[in-house]
Amino acid sequence: MSAPTTASWRRDTELPFQKLAEETIVVDPRRREVHLLNETAARIWELLSAPRSVDELAAALGDEYDVGEAELREAVVELVDGLSSKGLLVAVGGTR
Amino acid sequence: MAAPARSLSLAVAEAAPRCQDELIIGAEAAHYALMSQVQGKAYAETVPLNVSLELTLNCNIRCLHCYNLDRDLPQGSCHDRAPTDDAAAAKPDLSLDDIMRLLPELREAGCLFLTLSGGEVLTYPHLFAVLDRARELNFAVQLLTNGTMLQPGIAARLASYRNLLGVSISLYGATPEVHDGITQMPGSWRRTWDGAQRLRGAGITVRLKFIVMRPNAHQVAEMRAQATSRGFAYLVDVTITPRHDGTRGSLAMRVSEEQLAELYRGPLRDLLPNGRLPATEERFPCNCARGNCAISAKGDVHPCVSVPWSAGNVREQRFADIWRASPVFEKIRGLRIADYEACAPCPDKPFCSRNRGAAYNYSGSYTGTDPFVCRSAAITREVVTADAPQATAAPPASRE
Repeated sequence: MSAPTTASWRRDTELPFQKLAEETIVVDPRRREVHLLNETAARIWELLSAPRSVDELAAALGDEYDVGEAELREAVVELVDGLSSKGLLVAVGGTR
Repeated sequence: MAAPARSLSLAVAEAAPRCQDELIIGAEAAHYALMSQVQGKAYAETVPLNVSLELTLNCNIRCLHCYNLDRDLPQGSCHDRAPTDDAAAAKPDLSLDDIMRLLPELREAGCLFLTLSGGEVLTYPHLFAVLDRARELNFAVQLLTNGTMLQPGIAARLASYRNLLGVSISLYGATPEVHDGITQMPGSWRRTWDGAQRLRGAGITVRLKFIVMRPNAHQVAEMRAQATSRGFAYLVDVTITPRHDGTRGSLAMRVSEEQLAELYRGPLRDLLPNGRLPATEERFPCNCARGNCAISAKGDVHPCVSVPWSAGNVREQRFADIWRASPVFEKIRGLRIADYEACAPCPDKPFCSRNRGAAYNYSGSYTGTDPFVCRSAAITREVVTADAPQATAAPPASRE
């Protein structure tokens, strides 16, 4: 599965989560799952408190990470894919 | 980007399991392992990831072994008086406003796993207001209850909280006669089972907690079989402690040493620790005041729900200040095995639960002992080493 770039995403606002040092713990009580997001994934989780597209995420992260635009975008797609496949994100608008 | 973006971390944990690992009831092994890793990190960073909040001391049953207070004594005669804190009796309960002010403080301090308890938590009139706020603040919530008030409407309402991790329900017998004799409430066994099944029917994860006592020790195998046949996870606890009000009538409910030995050789044998891990400075401490604390209905902050040693009161100080700078918590965090004078030379440590609540409530000292716990460890060692003498011989006393 690949994150559709035209859709916006937001985190599932009902899932419990908490920062722990540089990482973020997300719990999915219904699935009996716990996820530990690394620093980069945690930053995307933070940004997705409001709906954003992959392009908007990449733009927001552009100033924070010292990598090329294409590499950054690829990393964002991968992370959004990962978060989405685990049921932690909700697609908002756009097309799939 | 400083480093290539990694996918989600789902690494198998190296950290030793701690008492909060069980919070993810029914999770698959990888998630248990990750939970252990998370708890280990909270411990190392001294983050109060797990907070137990007692919403009320009121209860609708009158368990003979209750750890809170002797409910057969006149109200107020010893109410909520911790062994080392006589002034606590005069404190009022936290108001709903107090709790609403406290919850964001807990969140800010790093709490994720919020356990709501009592007394009986369902007697608390503002429970759903607290649950609403806990949901807004993205806490993962667990409820502790006796299950007797879980009517259909309550179960359905609880099921609407997606942040509800589960409900832990206490059960004290395999038959109504035994369970109801302990709760002193006719019909409570049936109501508790009905409540458990109603919750599960509503999609809520339920874990039973069996407290083993003198009157129900002969039913342990049957209790476990009932839970298994009905598909419920469960925990078993054999340790009855003196009450937090300082009274000791509950101790009459403890199993005898003979009963304990029979249980460990029989229906509880598979739950005994194997004793293969020595009690190192890293393994000996528990999560008390490290990744874990409890707040009483009066607002006192304790190192855990079983140890009513007040580190401060949330009505008088911000929670974060108590957590960070309380002399009580500082003392606990600085303890070494050598500070536990009776435990330090004891060869039974690898087989011991080192139940801090029992030790504190029995001896009045956090580093003290409870002879019941000591005997439990000794019997465990006898049973386990008799079964596998090569693999589980006790380490030398000077190991650490």
